[in-house]
Amino acid sequence: MSAELFFVQLVNGIQYGLLLFLIASGLTLIFGVMGILNLAHGSMYMVGAYLVWYFAAVTGSFTAAAALSAVIALGLGILIERLLIQRLYNRNHLDQVLLTIGMIFVFNALQSILWGNDPHGVSVPDALSGSIPFTDNSSYPIYRIFAALVCIGIAAALYFVVSKTRLGMLIRAGESNREMVEALGVNIKNLYTIVFAIGVMLAAISGIIAAPIRSIVPGMGESVLITCFVVVVIGGMGSIKGAFVGALLVGVISTFAAVLIPSMSNMIIYIFMILVLLVKPQGLFSK
Amino acid sequence: MIFEKRTERIFLATFFIIALCIPLFLESNSFFVGKATTILILAIFVMSLDFLVGRVGLVTLGHALFYGLGGYLFVILTPEYEAVNFWIYAIYVMCVSAFVALVVGVVVLRTSGIYFIMITLAISQMVYYFFFDSLHFGGGDGLFIFIKPDTSIFGLSFLNLDNPTHFYYLALLGVLITLLTIKIVLRSRFGRIVEASRLNPARTEALGYNIFSFKLISYVIGSTLAAYAGLLFALQYGYVNPQFMTWEMSGTALVMSILGGMGTIYGAILGTITYEGLQYFFEHMSKDWMLFMGGSIILMVLLLRKGLAGYLEKLLEK
Amino acid sequence: MNRTKTLARAILATTLCAGLSTSALAAAGDPIKIGLMLPFSGIYAQLGEAGRDGLKLALKEKVSELHGSPIEFIELDTEAKPSRAPELASSLLNQHKVDFVIGPVHSGVAMGMIKMLRGKDTIMIIPNAGSAAATGPLCAPNIFRTSFSSWQPSYPMGKVALEKGYKKIYAISWNYGMGQESLDAFEESFTAGGGEIVKKVLLPFPSTNFQPNVSDIADQNPDAVFTFFAGGGAIKFVKDFDAMGLRGKIPLMGSGFLTEGTLTAQGDAAEGVMTGLHYAEQLDVPKNHEFREAFNTEYGHYPDIYAVQGYDAGQAITNTVNLLKGDISDKQAVISIMEGLIIDSPRGAFTFSKAHNPIQNIYLREVKDGVNVVQSIAAEALEDPARGCKL
Repeated sequence: MSAELFFVQLVNGIQYGLLLFLIASGLTLIFGVMGILNLAHGSMYMVGAYLVWYFAAVTGSFTAAAALSAVIALGLGILIERLLIQRLYNRNHLDQVLLTIGMIFVFNALQSILWGNDPHGVSVPDALSGSIPFTDNSSYPIYRIFAALVCIGIAAALYFVVSKTRLGMLIRAGESNREMVEALGVNIKNLYTIVFAIGVMLAAISGIIAAPIRSIVPGMGESVLITCFVVVVIGGMGSIKGAFVGALLVGVISTFAAVLIPSMSNMIIYIFMILVLLVKPQGLFSK
Repeated sequence: MIFEKRTERIFLATFFIIALCIPLFLESNSFFVGKATTILILAIFVMSLDFLVGRVGLVTLGHALFYGLGGYLFVILTPEYEAVNFWIYAIYVMCVSAFVALVVGVVVLRTSGIYFIMITLAISQMVYYFFFDSLHFGGGDGLFIFIKPDTSIFGLSFLNLDNPTHFYYLALLGVLITLLTIKIVLRSRFGRIVEASRLNPARTEALGYNIFSFKLISYVIGSTLAAYAGLLFALQYGYVNPQFMTWEMSGTALVMSILGGMGTIYGAILGTITYEGLQYFFEHMSKDWMLFMGGSIILMVLLLRKGLAGYLEKLLEK
Repeated sequence: MNRTKTLARAILATTLCAGLSTSALAAAGDPIKIGLMLPFSGIYAQLGEAGRDGLKLALKEKVSELHGSPIEFIELDTEAKPSRAPELASSLLNQHKVDFVIGPVHSGVAMGMIKMLRGKDTIMIIPNAGSAAATGPLCAPNIFRTSFSSWQPSYPMGKVALEKGYKKIYAISWNYGMGQESLDAFEESFTAGGGEIVKKVLLPFPSTNFQPNVSDIADQNPDAVFTFFAGGGAIKFVKDFDAMGLRGKIPLMGSGFLTEGTLTAQGDAAEGVMTGLHYAEQLDVPKNHEFREAFNTEYGHYPDIYAVQGYDAGQAITNTVNLLKGDISDKQAVISIMEGLIIDSPRGAFTFSKAHNPIQNIYLREVKDGVNVVQSIAAEALEDPARGCKL
């Protein structure tokens, strides 16, 4: 592999990793604060992609569609938390797993009923549709650079909110001590609703951002879910920083695997995850 | 009496009486005998999972690894066009599976909690992709088992596996053996230490027991039973496919076991029958069966705190 | 059709008639039972629906050929899951006792179905799954296919590539039966004519992270690229190929599924892509125009290749029933009639080979303004070699 190709692949890997981070961030946030393993997280990613496809077709504007979809996802998150998740806080973790598996079924059915089963694509917004020359005969699309920047922006925003704001303080306190937060006079119920809704919105936003790059098809949620788990586990469940590092590692490793050992590349991230857990059974950045 | 609860005794008695009689009411090659056989085989698989999750405290999302492995090992170990003895090869398959479980167990048991869920998931996905990506094992299209094994013992043959009714009884026998195995293990001193270590690990450790090895042995037992179920499933239609070991398969089994009532063992049978029954019903009712299936699962989680077995017990234990 | 009724009737029938003779033969006037085993949910759902719609259109149009026999459909959702295939096939065979099984879309499911149905007293018509084995080593008198074998759309493309003057080809697909077989078929004719495959990449299915490989293609700079991808993967690959600036620099060729049912989603990215397939929507055959309009009138949208294949499965049934004057009780007779059929397909008329795979034209198409435009006939009346079939 030439130095130039190595660099190109590194860029590809980082870009893929950043997108993985965005999907995984909501999952790790919800788990970190609420202790809930949301198996329906992939479905939220799918919902985001389908919503933006639908609204882009209706409104004709990707930006408007993206904003609308994100808001709907936030509302959906609040609804799900209030209607279902809230009833399970003092129940076994396995009940939560069961509930979210049930949700996967429901969302898949709704997708088929509302939007049919044809594969769809969203075109890149005009303002971002160009590309810049990259190597001799390839160029790099501006939208993908933009997507990577958005992921970095959201990572920075999350870092800022969690470590610098009152909400973040409560989140960090809520992780370690529910009673203490309640003693501070904060309604932990509302805090949980907010966190869950933000988590759902993050998943939907990643679906929105990914929509012009990836194809919008039934079952797209499940296919990212497991990769997402790998990312979060490598980084340490509940750690945003861990998810960031984990996502970049997985992104870069799977990119190089796809070129160097394509037929094995499905297995490689799992092997990597097992190795990480053997050395650090709680992931790289566990608390 | 190894069945402590009244409900358990009533349910199991009813189940075995009905199960024994079912083929008498269905024509021998009918679809329903096959369907009932599949449900029994799944029940074995789900019971083995219920034992691990509900009793040993090992929440695995990779149990289907052994379910799929049971079938693949049979194909790998037997010559393609020769009828082998079922019992001998079942033991072979289970021994190899036990060994695999031992190796996997040593790795996965280093973690706990949510990480245990994830590492079991990762290992099963890894093995899934191994079979899926290697065309030598049929890749995604799977492999056929061309010749059904014969089941004679010392030259005496009771069961012909090409006969669906005979196969049904073989599966029912499997359910009985699995149920008794798990119950006997749980009743033994070994089982009580395992349960103690789930409820209070620090104290059990303080009493001088090596929790790791107890968990490891339990993991091997549960996995080997799952492999036996997988072997039966592969033989029923003579077909193995990597899809038998996907995480969806593990997840479905987990759903069945939670629906039935985690840790009750007999609830696993109840959960399997209910889940399969619901799916069959909804599939024939509407093309949007997933909506109803998902809705029922959600409703049951919300309404039945301790699964169907818990509900039954409420009715019967007074 | 009413599934609940069918179910209730089936349960009643099986419980009441338990013990009675099971081989109730269908005489003329009895319903012709057609079981569908197609994916109606999951990633292949659209293909399953299109196949079903095509099939039903044929049976509706040709109702006069049925000699008064009513049709009964039993539809089962395979979810494209191989593990459920034998059970569902058994349901159609033993519970519903259907005369014809139409399915599946997915090759893995095909294997599970064939295991159950091979040599049985029902006719299996495959309306999509192209796996070589179905009309190769596993071929059987009662198994027919109205679609294609994986070999068919790809083999002629090797010759096409040579004619275009391409010497070095980068071949890429998914690492599963269909992908492997497609690349092999291409390689077979391409290397025989002196071409060279510079790199052959089989990616894990169903991974769609193609960007690293597209960068690799840019680096290798071959004369052209040959692929097999379908559905969501096809959309993603074509988009990535375009986004990385390779469109217009390196020609992209493929088995026709690369641009079937995906053109709207692919948009401009698909312009200029060359593929080989046994059909094209704009194919100038009278039957095709007729079919497309009829389909649009019935369903409100135009058909795709999957609908054509389902339609032809339906035609195979109606033609056979017609020639047998409505009496399909003798399955041997049904098989020999079917073997001799000339099916007036929208793709152009075709016949079945000895292995029961269509002998059909493969068209070279190129995407222009969002349409697969037929350039030429890449191979005329192409017959799958049916390696390993003993029929």
